[in-house]
Amino acid sequence: MKKAMISLFCAVMCLLALAGCGSSGKSTKYAGQVLNVYNWGEYVGENVISNFEKEYDVTVNYSLFSSNEEMYTKLMSGSSYDILVPSDYMIERLISEKMLQPIDKSIVTNLDNLADGVKNLNWDPDNTYAVPYFWGNVGIVYDSTHISQADVEKYNFAIFKQTAYKGHVDMYDSERDAFMIAFKDLGYSMNTSNEEEIQAAYKWLKEMNAAVNPSYVTDESIDDMVNGQKWLALLYSGDASYVLSQNANMRYYAPSYGTNLWVDGMVIPANASNPELANVFINYILTYEASLDNSETVGYSSSNKQVLEELSSEGGTYYNNAAYLPRTDNPKDETFHNNEVLRKELSNLWVKVKLG
Amino acid sequence: MKSFGRMAYPYMAWITVFIVIPMIMIMLYAFTVQGNETLIFHFTLANFARFLQDQTFLNVLWNSLRIAVITTLCCIIIGYPAAFLIAQQDERKQGIMILLITLPMWINMLVRTYAWRGIMLHFDLSSEFKIFVGMIYNFLPYMIIQIYTSLAKLDKNLITAAQDLGANPLQTFLKVTLPLSVPGIISGITLVFLPAVSSFFIPKLLGGGDYVLIGNLIETYFVTTGDWNFGSAISLIMAAIILISMYLTRKLDRQYQED
Amino acid sequence: MDKKRKGLRFGSGFYLTLIMLFFYVPILYVVVFSFNNSKSLTSFTGFSLMWYEKMFANRTMMESIYYTVLVAVIATVVSTVVGTITAIGLSKSRRLVREVVTQINNLPVMNPDIVTAISLMLFFISINMKTGLLTLILAHITFCIPYVILSIMPKLRQLDDNVAEAALDLGATPWQALTKVIIPQIKDAILSGALIAFSMSFDDFVISFFTTGPGINNISIYVYTMYKRINPSINALSSLIILVIATVLVIVNVVPMLKNRKKREIEA
Repeated sequence: MKKAMISLFCAVMCLLALAGCGSSGKSTKYAGQVLNVYNWGEYVGENVISNFEKEYDVTVNYSLFSSNEEMYTKLMSGSSYDILVPSDYMIERLISEKMLQPIDKSIVTNLDNLADGVKNLNWDPDNTYAVPYFWGNVGIVYDSTHISQADVEKYNFAIFKQTAYKGHVDMYDSERDAFMIAFKDLGYSMNTSNEEEIQAAYKWLKEMNAAVNPSYVTDESIDDMVNGQKWLALLYSGDASYVLSQNANMRYYAPSYGTNLWVDGMVIPANASNPELANVFINYILTYEASLDNSETVGYSSSNKQVLEELSSEGGTYYNNAAYLPRTDNPKDETFHNNEVLRKELSNLWVKVKLG
Repeated sequence: MKSFGRMAYPYMAWITVFIVIPMIMIMLYAFTVQGNETLIFHFTLANFARFLQDQTFLNVLWNSLRIAVITTLCCIIIGYPAAFLIAQQDERKQGIMILLITLPMWINMLVRTYAWRGIMLHFDLSSEFKIFVGMIYNFLPYMIIQIYTSLAKLDKNLITAAQDLGANPLQTFLKVTLPLSVPGIISGITLVFLPAVSSFFIPKLLGGGDYVLIGNLIETYFVTTGDWNFGSAISLIMAAIILISMYLTRKLDRQYQED
Repeated sequence: MDKKRKGLRFGSGFYLTLIMLFFYVPILYVVVFSFNNSKSLTSFTGFSLMWYEKMFANRTMMESIYYTVLVAVIATVVSTVVGTITAIGLSKSRRLVREVVTQINNLPVMNPDIVTAISLMLFFISINMKTGLLTLILAHITFCIPYVILSIMPKLRQLDDNVAEAALDLGATPWQALTKVIIPQIKDAILSGALIAFSMSFDDFVISFFTTGPGINNISIYVYTMYKRINPSINALSSLIILVIATVLVIVNVVPMLKNRKKREIEA
């Protein structure tokens, strides 16, 4: 028994050795340091982290979360990170709760690389706390062999209530995004605190649940759509552009009456152990090479101006990809703002929608 | 020898710190409202009321219990014959078969469930059916092994005695084997029912977001909503249900032993 | 009579085969698809080792294996030692003490693991302890020790006190009585307790999820973070785990069998 355990342990150590740890990069002032990064799953380029490690001779502990709320809970439970990549409303919340420290602009000098669409965001206009990483909007991904463009443009978000598509729909398991489409379809603001409007949206969602019986999933819908297993899904534009690049039958549509325009940004928590290296990392991400790797691999719109233009222009990987370049000129598109009361209420109602 | 009693002291300190105090913390959160970092010591039953007075939540509880009960029953129905047949084999074969059944248990539960997910993608099945497959697959080995253990301990002489006294195989089974294997069944039930009620990963992975069981509910309130008070209250309700059912099964077992 | 017996034997063989198939189809599926030449989980397009290459190159995945084994080994060793000492101590304690400790000891076993997980998370927060490898190990030790104790206590109760008393009367020190009389008698129970502790720790997901810190993942957490996207590297990882476990179990079970056979041959 003991022998078996020892041999198992040895086997694992051999495996680790095979994995080939240890980088022989240039020795710089950060050599040997550790950076704790907390990011979304499948949200970074293939070689970005390893290249950063080699360039600065550091080790990156890369952890994943699948929702802003999960990230927030982990923070609350005492985990300490150097870099987080939350969404706009969550960054607002962290700023208001004084959980972030300002970016060191003497280190982050590449701010000029930022694309116009992510400059001067109203929740952090001077990039005091956050540096945009990816951005996009939320829209409808549909299988053109089963659903016509005319229908999608006619119904907009109400396409999710059409009983003809029952059993073939994926709905994003996020109360924020689900309520957003209900609010928009009913003509309300997605940041409303009006109780009647909230109840109306709740009713809308229950009707949707009954009408099409959607699967409430998150990233699973990406592969569902790539493989044609579902006809209709609500997806973030970055995931949509990936889907469109893999499946020629899929189309993307952001309703004309407005949708959510979002930005995910890199921030440094107040209790970060290594803020200096964190700033270096942020600056590194903003470079052309890192941003290109990021955006090309994942499919999300880059915050780097040059990369954004290159990938969406002729010859670029996402040329003619309707989901890659989010529109910035529709005044009806809204950003989420942090609203604790609304959030809690939506959370409670959302559980009931899914149970319905 | 009495001095050996002192050997238990270190652990007693440990459990005070790592078991008793954490449980007290959950109770504190459950009986108060408002606040994740700062506990306001204003005791209230509001969290419990919120859960127990809401039909949707009670449905979730009912669903979890229902699925756990069906899973347990299926494990007994499928597992008993398997355990019985294995116990009939000669000793070497028994050893190999038990080894074969134990092997999947060693593989991470997530890995096993993920495998089933891949397989079931090929078929058009309802979420609930997929969850049952995943749950039964996960818990069946425990049931088989518990029943097998009590069957293997069975004194063969009792069987021969019954046969000598004129009982046919069916009677022998019903009146000798089955009753003597009940402790094994009860052990199996406790190893299956408890985790089945509280599982959240299997329903989440196999059922999609459609399936909200009580484990998922607790996870949602803790991780997504961030309402730790309500989450703690639900945890206590679930723990209470489980402790009560454990107590009842234990009582049944004891009564059974006495008969 | 013969026909009936043959029929029964066929029936039982058939049933057992079905059960074994049920258990092993997913395992076969995982292993087969880990060699798939494409990303698909539904169609096998050709043989390839690429997912294994990707797995070994994936540092996070390799680290998760390392942490899983590390935590499991530490938790097993600590909980076996502490559990054994405690069980022996409890068997010699006053009845009230034994009852109370046993009840509390049962809490992590009876409680759904999500309740244990959350209680520990809340505890670590309240003492301002940063989650990380240490909190993970502490949590694992906490839920492993009860299983060791549960495994050993019944055996201890069966022990004949007189043997240890006799040893003491014959001049043995308490330490000798412990190591040369009591422990050898409960050796099997200790081993099985250790085995249970190891498997509980190796397999754990929920408690680890809530008590671990940045960069520290175990296999279960890693699979959980990856499950939403189709990721055949997980099949490669799973196949590796299956291979290692199968090998270890076979060795652990076959070697004594071979030893016994040799012994019997020598004695014959």
